[in-house]
Amino acid sequence: MPQLDTSTWLVTIIAMILTLFVLIQLKFHKYSYPLSPAPKTFKSTSFPTPWETKWTKIYSPLLLPQQ
Amino acid sequence: MNENLFSSFITPTMMGLPIVILIIMFPTLLFPTPTRLINNRLVSAQQWLAQLILKQMMMMHSPKGRTWALMLISLIMFIGSTNLLGLLPHSFTPTTQLSMNLGMAIPLWAGTVITGFRYKTKASLAHFLPQGTPVPLIPMLVIIETISLFIQPMALAVRLTANITAGHLLMHLIGGAALALISISPTTALITFIILILLTILEFAVALIQAYVFTLLVSLYLHDNT
Repeated sequence: MPQLDTSTWLVTIIAMILTLFVLIQLKFHKYSYPLSPAPKTFKSTSFPTPWETKWTKIYSPLLLPQQ
Repeated sequence: MNENLFSSFITPTMMGLPIVILIIMFPTLLFPTPTRLINNRLVSAQQWLAQLILKQMMMMHSPKGRTWALMLISLIMFIGSTNLLGLLPHSFTPTTQLSMNLGMAIPLWAGTVITGFRYKTKASLAHFLPQGTPVPLIPMLVIIETISLFIQPMALAVRLTANITAGHLLMHLIGGAALALISISPTTALITFIILILLTILEFAVALIQAYVFTLLVSLYLHDNT
């Protein structure tokens, strides 16, 4: 049976190791599965101080007292 | 007759150069690397197939076992594509070579066992003794479990080799018989030809199933040991 001729075993095993553990894995590790694009929700981590929760007209820059 | 029948299983060398290396590396050409966000049809189809297989296979594993995902998907794609390419006429199938299958089975099985020893030593050693065995039977059962553990990589390799080799041999024999029968009795030749067609369909199934079984068993050994 030609499969039991061990003279070719080294070449076959080395070629298989190279293919299976290097070449094929280099192909498959590039596969990416991104999630469908969706808008990101804006969540601020800083909370507005009590005097900033309501916009008041005095904060407009041109209305500040001119120095 | 013998020489002719087994001649398709001789490792191909052309004038002393081992072209078996090129034959083993050929299936990697059939899996193009994705370079875009949205790829062409071939790459998208392969990505979809890979995701289907991954979801099915890695669902039962712990996070530690899931680190083997790349290895297992490469294994099943490699064996599947190699087996399917071997169904082409006059082609050489690397998975008929016992050397290659042993080279695949032993390192992967050893990897799963060593992982089990490193991370869950007591649990992996406990596999040698099923629960609830009567005390007098313990020594014999440990010996039996050890033997069944060490036979796992051999069984993996020989199972794949024997299945693919036997299928190819049967196709050679029945095809040769159909050809020889045409001049003797065309009806019998037709029946033999129909048998050949059915056998080819079976071989397609076997090609894929063997890839699946190999990978599934490696995955099972991994599950036991993570």
